[in-house]
Amino acid sequence: MTSISMINPGQSQRTLAIGKAIRKNLSFFFVVPALVLFLVFVLYPIIYIFRASLYEWNGLSAGTFIRLNNYIQLITSDRGFHLALRNSFYWTFLTIFPQMFLGFILAYILNSRIIGKNIFRMIFYMPAIISPIVIGIVWERIYNPFGGLLADVGRVTGLAFLQQSYVSDPKLAIFSCIAVNVWQWTGFSMLLYLAGLQGLSEEVLDAAAVDGANLLQKIRHVVWPMLRHVHLTLILLGVIGTLQTFALIFVLTKGGPNHASEMLPTYIFQNAFQLSQMGYASAISVVLLLLALILSLFQVVVLGARFSLHE
Amino acid sequence: MVSNLRLIKQFGLIAVYLFLIVMALIWLLPVIMMLLVSFMPPDQRAPEFGGLMLKGISLANYLAVFQDAPVPRYFINSLIITIPSVFFVIALSVLAAYGFSRLKFFIKEFWYYLLLLTLMLPIPTLIIPIFQINRTLHFYNTYLGLILPYTALGIPFAIIILRSFFDGFPKDLEDAARLDGCSALGVLWRVMLPVSWPSLTVVIIWQFMTSWNEFILALVTMEDNAIKPLTLVPLIYSGQFMARPGAMFAILTIITIPIMVVYLFMQRYFVSGMTAGALKG
Repeated sequence: MTSISMINPGQSQRTLAIGKAIRKNLSFFFVVPALVLFLVFVLYPIIYIFRASLYEWNGLSAGTFIRLNNYIQLITSDRGFHLALRNSFYWTFLTIFPQMFLGFILAYILNSRIIGKNIFRMIFYMPAIISPIVIGIVWERIYNPFGGLLADVGRVTGLAFLQQSYVSDPKLAIFSCIAVNVWQWTGFSMLLYLAGLQGLSEEVLDAAAVDGANLLQKIRHVVWPMLRHVHLTLILLGVIGTLQTFALIFVLTKGGPNHASEMLPTYIFQNAFQLSQMGYASAISVVLLLLALILSLFQVVVLGARFSLHE
Repeated sequence: MVSNLRLIKQFGLIAVYLFLIVMALIWLLPVIMMLLVSFMPPDQRAPEFGGLMLKGISLANYLAVFQDAPVPRYFINSLIITIPSVFFVIALSVLAAYGFSRLKFFIKEFWYYLLLLTLMLPIPTLIIPIFQINRTLHFYNTYLGLILPYTALGIPFAIIILRSFFDGFPKDLEDAARLDGCSALGVLWRVMLPVSWPSLTVVIIWQFMTSWNEFILALVTMEDNAIKPLTLVPLIYSGQFMARPGAMFAILTIITIPIMVVYLFMQRYFVSGMTAGALKG
């Protein structure tokens, strides 16, 4: 007790102030570990690819500085790159909207008192938890022209259009991959719509019913607009998902035949790790990065899209 | 539920069920096929109807796989990579989310949005630099070479989820604890974490699934077969089992079973986890 009485008031106040300042600084240390990992594995890599994209470099020896030549080659004369851009465009529209549409229908039905709704939900979401490699190999078997499911069904029923070279026909390859993606991710859309539907109040739905609006009108004018935040999240996640599509293509077509189903990630991998053109692949990475950043920032900042319904 | 009654009236229950059943069959077919082909007898050279027609049932493929491939080893590798990444994501994100939600420091919101940039990055843009960083730090071809990037890439989403939970946490409880002499860490550990389970579950499941199934970084990081995770196993044996789809599909089935079991037991958490925070939307 005596020691406390010996401290004079001014000193204790100063001690408090210093302590407060330290505590204020210490707060920053709560986020430092997360920021350090971010700096090493996200921010530094971004700077790295920008720099590497200006070099002709095989990843081992010192590279040669070639200014923007990698980009010039990409834009002017690289067919694989052009096809990858075209396919990204197809992929964006032909996966996101069918997945949203189907996912919404399933969610709407399974939000009611349907018997077995939990089992149905489980079935539709199941592909989303399976490794994309497993899914790719199984679908390869479905698409196989020799003894594959679709070909054999076509052979027996006489529906000749089912007997296609789904993954080796340059006209079909990308769409065959897209179909698998829709199969895999529709359940995810369904789950997000279920969450959105459960967030709607009963009164909203009832009010529309009292007005005599029929089911389709109610969905179109009441339910669908009120799920705007879910649509935006699904489109945002869908665009980013499109731009990082790799495993499925890698297993099904490797980007072929002759780049017909190339996507930017498969093209990066091929150039960097199979052709040892790390500089050139970095330039493709920069394009992919800018594409992703511009499209996502637009959605987040201008449209107000969020990464999670929890946000 | 009114909407349910109207739905039944307008479309007819039968049509709805028919639609559901047809869709469910399409969704189940590839999974059933995977199982059936894995039981294909060795004397049947190629599956017909993608494997829906078998000449018999045989366990020969599984025996062959367990003789030739150390599947339990790969399973353990996946765990060695996934569990630490989940642990680190939780530990670092809880701290950071609490900091962002409750504490004050220099240009806080700038740091927050900087971290969120990660979510807009396609992982394939990072494979070249991460490959080089891992080589420089001698993490190439080691478990850490995947654990650290998976942690770094998982943290931002976890922070979003946890911050939004912490933001909604009543300040009074926290203030009371602070008055009782609890430090910021103490409040986080004793007051907030014990009630954060719904959000933590979402983060755990999400991080577990993404790390467990991640492919492209694993492909460019792991060289020795002995330390490869399960996702890479089909590639290891694609040559050896090229002419034996039965054995390949047995591998696929073995890979899929653990995650399926977790899913079946945790389904409630998967679904409610994905939907829990939506009610406020």
